[in-house]
Amino acid sequence: MEELFAPPAYEWKRLSPKYRSMRILTSLIVPPIIFSIPAVIVGVASGRWWISGLIWAAAVVIVIIRLAFVTRSWRSWGYVEREDDLYITHGVMFRSLIAVPYGRMQLVEVESGPLERAFGLASVALKTASPETGARIPGLPPDEATRLRDRLTELGEAHASGL
Amino acid sequence: MSASQPQRTSAPESSTGSHTDATPEPALTVGPPKPTERPHPLTPFVRGWLVFVAIAIGWGREIVSSAGENQFEARGLLWILPVLAIVVLLAGIAGFISWYFTRFVIDDEELRIDTGAIFKKSTKIPFERLQSVDIVQPLAARIFGLAELRLDAGNSTTKLRYLTRSKASRFRDYLLTRAHGHQASIRDLDQQLVAGAFTDLGAGDHPLVQVSPQRLIASFLLSTEWLIPTAISIIILVSTVAFGVLPFALGALIPLLIGMLSLIWRRVIGMFNFTLAESPRGLRITRGLTNLTSQSVPINRVQGVKTSQSLLWRPLGWYRVDIDILGHADSDGENSESTASSVLLPVASLDEVQLALGRVLPGFDLDGIALYRSPKRARWLRWFDFWTLRYGWDDRTLITEHGWITHVRDTVPHAKTQSVRIEQGPLQRLLRLADVHIHTPRGPVNAVAHQLDNQIARELALSQLDRARAARVAERQHRAVEMVGSDDLQGEAELLARFGTSRDDILGFGGESEVFALDHDRVLRIYRGRHEAPQHTAAQLRSLYESWRAVEIGIELPLITDTGEYNGRFYSVDQRFSGRNFSSWLQSADIARRRPALISFLDATECLQRLPSPVPGFSRLIGDGAPQQFGTLGELLSNMLLGPLQASRSRLERDVPAVGEVWNRLHGELAQRAVAPAVVHGDVCPPNAYISQAPNGPVVTGIGDFSPHTLNADPLMDVAGAVIFLELEPYADAPADAAWLEAVAVERHGRDIAHWIDVYRRYYGFYFSNAYAVDPTLYAWCLRQLSR
Repeated sequence: MEELFAPPAYEWKRLSPKYRSMRILTSLIVPPIIFSIPAVIVGVASGRWWISGLIWAAAVVIVIIRLAFVTRSWRSWGYVEREDDLYITHGVMFRSLIAVPYGRMQLVEVESGPLERAFGLASVALKTASPETGARIPGLPPDEATRLRDRLTELGEAHASGL
Repeated sequence: MSASQPQRTSAPESSTGSHTDATPEPALTVGPPKPTERPHPLTPFVRGWLVFVAIAIGWGREIVSSAGENQFEARGLLWILPVLAIVVLLAGIAGFISWYFTRFVIDDEELRIDTGAIFKKSTKIPFERLQSVDIVQPLAARIFGLAELRLDAGNSTTKLRYLTRSKASRFRDYLLTRAHGHQASIRDLDQQLVAGAFTDLGAGDHPLVQVSPQRLIASFLLSTEWLIPTAISIIILVSTVAFGVLPFALGALIPLLIGMLSLIWRRVIGMFNFTLAESPRGLRITRGLTNLTSQSVPINRVQGVKTSQSLLWRPLGWYRVDIDILGHADSDGENSESTASSVLLPVASLDEVQLALGRVLPGFDLDGIALYRSPKRARWLRWFDFWTLRYGWDDRTLITEHGWITHVRDTVPHAKTQSVRIEQGPLQRLLRLADVHIHTPRGPVNAVAHQLDNQIARELALSQLDRARAARVAERQHRAVEMVGSDDLQGEAELLARFGTSRDDILGFGGESEVFALDHDRVLRIYRGRHEAPQHTAAQLRSLYESWRAVEIGIELPLITDTGEYNGRFYSVDQRFSGRNFSSWLQSADIARRRPALISFLDATECLQRLPSPVPGFSRLIGDGAPQQFGTLGELLSNMLLGPLQASRSRLERDVPAVGEVWNRLHGELAQRAVAPAVVHGDVCPPNAYISQAPNGPVVTGIGDFSPHTLNADPLMDVAGAVIFLELEPYADAPADAAWLEAVAVERHGRDIAHWIDVYRRYYGFYFSNAYAVDPTLYAWCLRQLSR
């Protein structure tokens, strides 16, 4: 199985462990908040708080499932800069491996939202002329993200070709 | 039209009104004020009418869809009429203001459109940036003999409306001429034929495919997209009527009916009288019953082709063809009746499809591509169409097929591949299957090789990247040549025509020349550039080949039968090699067939050593002052490296650590090499070799293209070259094959040649290092050789 998604003759570079911590935190916080809104509304409006209890129980189940997958999902991410292209892999259930030739990159973006900044993380997104490409590497240390961006931009220029 | 205008002096359709004043108004751009003109004065009325129609349709739809719920009372709607009148009046006033402040210039120097009453806007489009110029005639405009000019440049579309039809088509012809880089004056275009109200074909246009109304309507009625909503509507109608609950179903039926109407509008009204024509400025499509659209197809922007066939079209042999065109971002396959469309042919027979594809993808051999099926176990996941899943490729394109109710075939030229993705879901993992997506720019083409075996999927994806890279490099070189100037292209086209061939017959191209097929025995080679060098080289090669004509070494050698110059382009007529190009053959062969062929390639390389050299001793056989003799191998090879190093020295100093040391070591080693000189081809690589079918399998039977690298030097140089240039081949296992071939060579010639192959790796690393600007792959290879 592994060989389908292995990088050719290279080692995957992995994401920062902080990304896992961030995902654990969001998994713990986000579902309870989202589920609490309907739970409270139902409880207040109908007075049947047992329905709210069910909703909260569902939230707990989702949190547990997400936590069970966080480490595997974090570990499933990998990227590698080859001579002519960048490979990115991720996915636990639905796996994918994408290869983007440097010559095809039109835009390399470094993004960092407030939560990512709090964890000292940034993500790198690559755009080609194809909307399907959708190549993104989350959870990189900012230094690595800017290094990757500069490197990819440089390689992109060196390999650039028209459409 | 006032006499102060430089463009033309007569407007043939002046009966529809004359251009009032053309007083020069100060433009936003710097420079002396130029006479500008306004669009046709009827413009505001036409646009007002369009607003009226839009409102009427919008309201009509509202009324129809609300009719189901409450009782529809016509009298209650009377109050709408004055409101409508006011809206139309306001739109008319706005249209008048917009018309009054719109001025444009299309002359020999520029294309500029100034708009805006309060916020002035001046759009100036450089002629070269124009990608297509389309003419659209909405019904209202058509009645008045007016047309809209639609200018596509980059990602923006600029509309100029409305002009008289004759003026619009004249501007279109002029702008397309300029967009192709040809010099022309707008005054010269007066005599051309103009677009009519029913067709829009110029004098030079020659229709390739015309779709008759009968066929269009029949194909529409049989198309899956029409039959499915029709069947659903009938089922809903029958079942609800049977149970007497029809009003409840209206909510579902009405949107369905509206969808069907809009499908008729797009597929029948919009595609009516569809004509694909060849004009002197490329392909052109005209279509439409109410709105007549004329649209050019920019061939160099085609990113992929989708051929589809509805189930019921199959007995009739009909196909539909859509193309991805770069920049037509909104074209998701379904276009409104007047915008630029991705439809190349709404319905056509196989012959017509092949004719059109030959124009859109010139020089591609789509029928020669062997298609492979997905493995049988795919039926567990794609039980509905597993037998239709196919994929295949050659050295220029990749094809995928899928679908049963509508059979779809996507064709993507390698040079247009953006990125590649392998995907696998949990069920696929159980069955060891995976999908490979080949990404192309936005458009109807979506090439996915469905449900491949794990290993095949990975091979396909990785080798596709290599093929795409090779195709990009080739295209870039090709383009670099085309940049030389359109005059050269023109000259080349005339040269090709003189030999009765065309660009479609291109066999291959390299850094120095392009090769076209003439017939079974001969090819035409057109050298790049206009300078003397290629002519000189070809003359030297010709006499060298001539001197080998009587020598039998066991393989085919090149022969130049004629050289000449035409229109400033230098050409030669060469004998055609039998068999197929080895490089493209390698890409499609599996390992069991490749390995014996590679051995025969090594054999053929060794045959070259038997060629007699015209001069004794270490010498350079081609080039300025050749034959030029040298005392030792070391001196000859240092001399060979002088030129390339001059260009690449500063790059190498940056990219290779301790490059001086590598250089000194190479010279030290070359000084130690004791060998009797023999002819060295200098560029023995698969693209220069030819393979034919022999009784025991494919065998390399010819080596061509002796280059400016031809020497009388160490015969091992070609053996080393055959091994190490193989690494540059664009198929996935090329490096493994090269390592294997090196082992074979070492076994044949003894242990110590491994060392000399390494020495020549460094030599060639320096020799090709001046490729950094044109071929990054080759340059990266050079860096690897120098850093070993």
